[in-house]
Amino acid sequence: MMEMIDTLMETVMSNQVSIPLIEPMLDVLPEIPMLQYMVAFMLWKPLFAILICPGLTVGGLTLLFFPWIERKLCGRAQWRVGPHEIVWWLGGVIQLLADTLRFLFQEVIVHKDAHRPYFLQFPFLSFTIFLLPLLFIPAGTIVAIQTPYAIQIILALVCLFPLFILGLGWASNSRFAYIGTVREAFMYFAYEIPFIIAAIAMIILYGTSDPLLMASRQSIPGIILNPVAALVFFIGAAMATGRMPFEIADSDQELCAGPHVEYSGIAFGLIYVLCYEKAYILSALMTILFLGGGSGPVIAGLGDLSGVLWFVVKTYLVLTTLFMLRAVYPRYRLDQGLKLGWSPMLCLALIGLAISLVVVAVRVI
Amino acid sequence: MKSMKKVVGPEYNLSEKIKTNVYAVGVAMQESVYPHTMTVFYPRERKKMPDNYRGFILFDPDKCISCFNCSFVCPANAIRMKEAPNKRYYPTVDYGRCIFCHFCIDSCSGGALKATKIHDVAYKDMDEMFTPTEEMIELPEIIREDKKYVEYEIEEDDLHLKRTKGEDYLFVEVPPPIQIPMVSQCIDRANCIGCRVCEEMCESGAISSSVENGMLRMKIDTDKCTGCGLCVKECSMQILMLKKLERK
Repeated sequence: MMEMIDTLMETVMSNQVSIPLIEPMLDVLPEIPMLQYMVAFMLWKPLFAILICPGLTVGGLTLLFFPWIERKLCGRAQWRVGPHEIVWWLGGVIQLLADTLRFLFQEVIVHKDAHRPYFLQFPFLSFTIFLLPLLFIPAGTIVAIQTPYAIQIILALVCLFPLFILGLGWASNSRFAYIGTVREAFMYFAYEIPFIIAAIAMIILYGTSDPLLMASRQSIPGIILNPVAALVFFIGAAMATGRMPFEIADSDQELCAGPHVEYSGIAFGLIYVLCYEKAYILSALMTILFLGGGSGPVIAGLGDLSGVLWFVVKTYLVLTTLFMLRAVYPRYRLDQGLKLGWSPMLCLALIGLAISLVVVAVRVI
Repeated sequence: MKSMKKVVGPEYNLSEKIKTNVYAVGVAMQESVYPHTMTVFYPRERKKMPDNYRGFILFDPDKCISCFNCSFVCPANAIRMKEAPNKRYYPTVDYGRCIFCHFCIDSCSGGALKATKIHDVAYKDMDEMFTPTEEMIELPEIIREDKKYVEYEIEEDDLHLKRTKGEDYLFVEVPPPIQIPMVSQCIDRANCIGCRVCEEMCESGAISSSVENGMLRMKIDTDKCTGCGLCVKECSMQILMLKKLERK
């Protein structure tokens, strides 16, 4: 038994997040029983990735505050105020916390025609599935599962997202949800191919699909090496998350809320944050592919956390840009969205692929 | 039948498209950092109203001569005169009818009615909106939460908000109107039919009657007359008239 614990602790201690700033604190810990093991586990890189960054803590904070940031920024850009009255001296920061509380205590209404088991399962199931790509996304050097095929796995999981939205719409069995679901399916086909081609272009450019290696190979960030692929990827991300110019599936004006009209209570709350979760993952992916992941000037005293900090800053920058689109652009029609996805974006993605090939060829020569 | 004309949107080339898009995003960024929001956060700050704002009406009974002018002029029939314990008639306002034209204040010869900048008065029901004289005399109780007041300013053809710390004053001190002392006079004594309506109407007891040699004799005391003009309005023969008081 003791041997097992020792081998376990050896594995844990060999892969620790090193933070010089808190080391004096860690030296004191052995005097307190149990706490030492707990801290050692917390600072074990895979667990740190799941629990703190990019996993639970940072992800949760993103989901908690980015809807507010989006509403506030768009409100200010459009001469409105945005969320304001809850804690008005801070500009309504805890708006989403209040909304979540309200959703938690609200009745989840399942209407008569809905497919009851799927109707109740899908919001929770999709929320879990949407979290999975975070396992493969590294923040700096910290990653939960390190594999050379991380980008492909993330892409595959991202492509799985719309299926769950389709499931939601199908289980709702309502005409608005039906139209929204069909639109979602159309848009899915429109953005997915250029989006994947843009990601593949970057994999070809770096010659690897390991995010950690990718970060080390971006002495010049990918967005400068291949701006066309970056543009396609960004537009694809906007389409995938249903940001304003492509808010075709859940268009408030004509379909109420698209695939999730029928939901209420905490089920709706989960679906409401789904698109923000998706946006968070896609901007993290964009950070890895085009902005050099967690690479940046090392901040003294933070050690491994320096990479984490840069990763978070870059991701939030991409997220904010993604959300600012809402303030500027009106919505495309479905046919315009499809046209954009199938012709200019596909062409641009192919051009991006060609640029990558040329860059690789130049490097080889 | 005329052929239908197809509406075509303006066409832009690529460079123009990029330019307009960049401009739009730039404006959005600029506005999100330094917005030109026009919203006034009402309970915590107030819009500064001009001094001649037509709001809640206050009343000073000492200056009132009970001339009924306010109630006669009121286009919405909101003002009714009610008899006070001291046998004088004072105005009451029904805010359910009042259209805040403030004709009553303009017509008040003694300056007894006064305008304020109060515009946020709440009532529970329609009956409560009838405001008796007593409630018009006292300043209404206001819960002030505002720490700032807001003014709109035009700078370079653009409207801006200007916030200033401090409370905006709601009760405006207006100089009293220039009073022309008037007095009631009979211009055609021969036509008086002696109905004594003027005597009954007079609030200040300036008109008195006496019987001399079987003849009714009316007398107007110029010292007591306030110049309210009620007798002039009520005289059935229309032989009474308001004239400027000539000081001796």
